[in-house]
Amino acid sequence: MKNTYRRIGLAALVACGLGLSAAQADELLVGVELPLTGTLARVGAGMNEGIMVAADVFNKTNTKHQVKIITVDNESAPAKAIAAVEKLASQGVLAIDGGYGSNNIAPASDAANKLGLVYVTSGGVDDSLVNSGRKNFFRINNSAGYQKAMVGLLSDLKVKSVSILYSTKEATSGLAHDLEKTLTSKGVTVVAHAFDPAITDFKPIINKVKLQDKSEVIAMVGYENDYVGILRAARVLKPSVKALVGVWSLATPKMAADFPDLMPNVYGTAVLPFPAEFKTTEGKSFNEAYQRIYKKEPDYLGQFGYVQSMLLFNAIARAADKGTLKKDGVAEEMRKTDSETLIGRVQFSSNGDNLNFSHRMGQHQGNKIVIVWPQADATGKANFPGVPW
Amino acid sequence: MTELILQALYSGVLQGGSYALIALGLALVFGAMKVINLAHGELVLLSAYIAYSVEFGLGWNPIFAIPISLVVVCLTSMMVYFVVGRIKKDREINSLILTYGIGVILTNVILLIWKADVRSTGSTWMQEAMVVGPFYSMRSEVLFFVVSLVMMGALWWWLSRSWYGRAVRAVSSNRDAAKLMGIDPGYTELVSFVVAGILAAVAGVALYSYGVVSPAYGSVLTVKAFIITVLAGIGSIPGVLIGALLLGVAEALTVTLASSALQELVGMGLFLLVLFVMPNGLFGAKGRRG
Repeated sequence: MKNTYRRIGLAALVACGLGLSAAQADELLVGVELPLTGTLARVGAGMNEGIMVAADVFNKTNTKHQVKIITVDNESAPAKAIAAVEKLASQGVLAIDGGYGSNNIAPASDAANKLGLVYVTSGGVDDSLVNSGRKNFFRINNSAGYQKAMVGLLSDLKVKSVSILYSTKEATSGLAHDLEKTLTSKGVTVVAHAFDPAITDFKPIINKVKLQDKSEVIAMVGYENDYVGILRAARVLKPSVKALVGVWSLATPKMAADFPDLMPNVYGTAVLPFPAEFKTTEGKSFNEAYQRIYKKEPDYLGQFGYVQSMLLFNAIARAADKGTLKKDGVAEEMRKTDSETLIGRVQFSSNGDNLNFSHRMGQHQGNKIVIVWPQADATGKANFPGVPW
Repeated sequence: MTELILQALYSGVLQGGSYALIALGLALVFGAMKVINLAHGELVLLSAYIAYSVEFGLGWNPIFAIPISLVVVCLTSMMVYFVVGRIKKDREINSLILTYGIGVILTNVILLIWKADVRSTGSTWMQEAMVVGPFYSMRSEVLFFVVSLVMMGALWWWLSRSWYGRAVRAVSSNRDAAKLMGIDPGYTELVSFVVAGILAAVAGVALYSYGVVSPAYGSVLTVKAFIITVLAGIGSIPGVLIGALLLGVAEALTVTLASSALQELVGMGLFLLVLFVMPNGLFGAKGRRG
């Protein structure tokens, strides 16, 4: 009986101790504003996974600070994005994490700016986001990084002519125009074809590429549904191109699994090869947490969501340590960021853009995604010329 | 240039057939009940996602999803009817709001069940090229163009030859007079919703087989179907086909001769032009009966 009382007493002491340490760890509220429904639901959900993994990893490795995430769905609508930021601010969040689509991010980050909250994202590449005087805005990727990767690959492949097919959405048309300008300045013959985001049949455009442009490469600047439409039309009409190159959401394991006939030899931007190889400690802990929570291989959206969130959580924690949370401390700490991350070194310029962002190019080869550009990070050689048919 | 235009015409005709199949159900309910079912696109989408489940879950060709889609979509369509049928006042306006709400609910149900990923068939057979002279298409496009024509013929036959089809036309023409003739308007309207469900089920499987679907795509389909229905003239089946083909060809020619960025603008321009010149649509006569 005496032993039982002793055990109960010991257990109570341990419980008190645990309670004390939990009470000591302060709770930092972070607002997440993302499109979880509507047209951008897929990309929003992908980024949200990375954010949740970042919160999990941060909370497990920090005893002093714990982040608590409050998520609001912006329904892929700009007005709802503003409302989401205002709602999160009213709940006392210290910063806003997330956002996808430049047209949603612009008004949402404006609202955050007015409320004095930091807004960090990886979902908007439009340059106007960083050139409109938003003091508290930060992003870890940009159009220039994607453009650099595409131009770098095309230059290495010594391509002479390119047909650019691009969606008329803000981010895609901005990137396509920059790509056209840069390639033209390098002496490459470029023909650009804008397409409406609602288009489903790409055969008339591909036929123009086949019969009029006669380009060596088709560059696609769009989204998953556009890529599928373009690649299907190309597979039917078989233009005499040597390669098909795209940007985001293309060199992913999901595309390889869902559309095995369309993806062989297609290029797209990729952070990591597939199967993913995580060499750093941070990469390994991210991969472990992601697979534990979501029971699947992490994708690029998850990686970007993770990186932006970890940078934000660490900045908030540093500001909390310095007691500057209420004095613009989070923005100050974000500006001081200089970290090696899963997407490379991140430093923010005075307008909040990532100074060092440069993407890599991957190619679907068999069931793998091989990094083929830049040479320094390459995990294999490009199959060139190579098309899916 | 001739080669380009010929291919554009061919692509436009195939695209028009696909539009017609999607618009038929909406046109039928609109003609029969004067109800614009704004959830029709979501019914088509529901069928497309069932085709996805059948293909990737059971490993079958998406065509075999049609029987399952028929049951699920027709039951959903009947539920829409029962909700709309409860409206006693200003049915035309109130049903708009109600079916819009049902569309939002269906979109979110699809999102919950199938997640937000874009989906399309992985079937090699469906995606293979079919080349006839200078004309290129996927096998699935030709297959479902033929299915679309057959469905339209069957619907036309049903409306003009069968007892229930005639009853639908009678109720559409004069609900009270039809009642006096011994026709149960409620039951007849239910039948028209079921037939619209059948059309939506087939359209969904077709869409999944040659296109790409995502949960937010339903409203796009409804808008397209609505434009064709108004373009055709209320209640006209041949009008739906002609209107859809016109829209498909106009879009494809715009892409070929100008830019794809203008194709939606041209579609809407055509819609406004037809309404301006022929306010009752291409085949809608003033005071038309049935």
